[in-house]
Amino acid sequence: MSDTNMITETDLNAYVDGELDPAKRAAVEAYLADNPAESERVAAWRDQTATLRALYGHVADEAVPSRLSPHRLVIERRHRMMRSVTAIAAALVLVVLGGVSGWVGRGLTTPNLTEATLVSEAEAAHALYAPEVLHPVEVSGQDGAHLTKWLSKRLDRTLAIPDLSSAGFSLVGGRLLPAATSAAALLMYENRDGSRVTLYIVPKAGAETAMRFSSGGGLTAVSWQAETLGCVLVGNLPRETLLGLAKASYGSLDSASAI
Amino acid sequence: MSSFLDDIETLVPALRRYARALTRNTDQADDLVQDCLERAITKQSLWRPIGPLRPWLFKIMINLYRNDRRRQRNSPEQETLDVLPFEPATPATQGARLALAETAAALQRLPAEQREALLLVALEGMSYAEAASALDIPQGTLMSRIGRAREALRTMVDGTGPRLRSVK
Repeated sequence: MSDTNMITETDLNAYVDGELDPAKRAAVEAYLADNPAESERVAAWRDQTATLRALYGHVADEAVPSRLSPHRLVIERRHRMMRSVTAIAAALVLVVLGGVSGWVGRGLTTPNLTEATLVSEAEAAHALYAPEVLHPVEVSGQDGAHLTKWLSKRLDRTLAIPDLSSAGFSLVGGRLLPAATSAAALLMYENRDGSRVTLYIVPKAGAETAMRFSSGGGLTAVSWQAETLGCVLVGNLPRETLLGLAKASYGSLDSASAI
Repeated sequence: MSSFLDDIETLVPALRRYARALTRNTDQADDLVQDCLERAITKQSLWRPIGPLRPWLFKIMINLYRNDRRRQRNSPEQETLDVLPFEPATPATQGARLALAETAAALQRLPAEQREALLLVALEGMSYAEAASALDIPQGTLMSRIGRAREALRTMVDGTGPRLRSVK
C-alpha cells in the first residue's frame, strides 16, 4: 500500500518497457487499478509503441540490398586499397618530377617557408584526410614499427611517433605528403567518439618557439618549432584539449631528437 | 574477422529499420547504414569492440546521423520525406491511416535526442542498459528522455484526437 503511493512517472515508463522486477511490477499494477487516468496514459504509451512498430517494423523484414552486405563491403574495400596503391605510385612519380624541376629551377625563387605556410598546409591535409572513412592513412597504426622507420627515413629525422592513448586518442596511422620544400609526415589519431586530430611534421631547422594557436574554417591548429622539426596539430576540438595533445606530442618528439 | 562480419550481418535489418525511422527516407537510411558498416569494419581493426556488438553499431550510426544533420543544417537543400513510410499491407481505414501518419509526423517534431532514445527502446526493443550505452548517456538521462518523448507524442497526437474520434 505504501509502495503504490510512491509510483513515479519513471516507474510507469519502466513498467511499459518491462524493466521492473516482479514486486515493483505488482505495485504498479495495483496503482494503475486505482487510477484510471494514469492507466489511460499507460495505455496511450503502449499504443505509441504499437504504432511505431506498425510504421517501421516491416523494414527489418525487407530483403537487404546487396550493397549492405558486410562481406561485400570488405571485398570492395580491398579493391579500393589496391587502386590507391597504384594512385600513390603515380603520385610519387609526380613528386620526383616536381623535385627535379624544382632543382632545375633553383635560384629562380627563394623558398620562404613561413609558419603560416606550414599551418595552412597542415590544415589542408587535415581537411582532406580526416573525413576519410575508408583509407585515411597509408600505413595503419598497427604497423607502428614500420611506420616509424619509413617516415623517419623519408623525413631524414629520428621520429618517435607520439603515444596519445593516455589522452584517449589512438593512432590511426600515417602518410607521407609533399610539402613546400620537403616531404611531410601526417599522423592521424582518433578517440572513441571518432573525433580525429592530425599531427603534421616537416623537417625544418630553427630556434624553438612557443606553441601558437590559429583557427579558421572550424579547425584549430597548434603549431610549434622543435629543434629540427616544424609541427602542427590540427583538430576540431577545444583549445585546451588540443594544447594538452600538443604538449604530449612535443614531449615525445623532442625526446626522440635527443637520442 | 569473418565471424565478426557474420555477427554484423545479423544486425543489418535492425539498423535499416532504425535508420528508416530516423530519416524517413529509404535511400538516406541505407546510405547511413552503409557508412556505419564501413566505419565499423575499419574501426574493428583498431579496436575490437569490448562490449556487445549491437549498442556499439547503433552508437556509430547515431554519431554519423548527427554529423549528417549538422551538415544538412548548413546547406539549404531539403531531402524529400516519405509521407507514409509504406503502403499498409492490409487496407486500413482512413482513420487508422491518419493515426499512423500523424504519429510519424509527431515523431519528427520531437527533439532529436528524444526521438533517438524512444526509437531504441520502443522500436528496437533495447533494454535501458543497451540503449543508454548506444547513446553514451547515463540510464537516468535515457529514462527522462523517453518519458518526455512519450508525453510530447501523446499531447501532439491527442491534440487532434477528439476530432478523429468524432468522425468515427
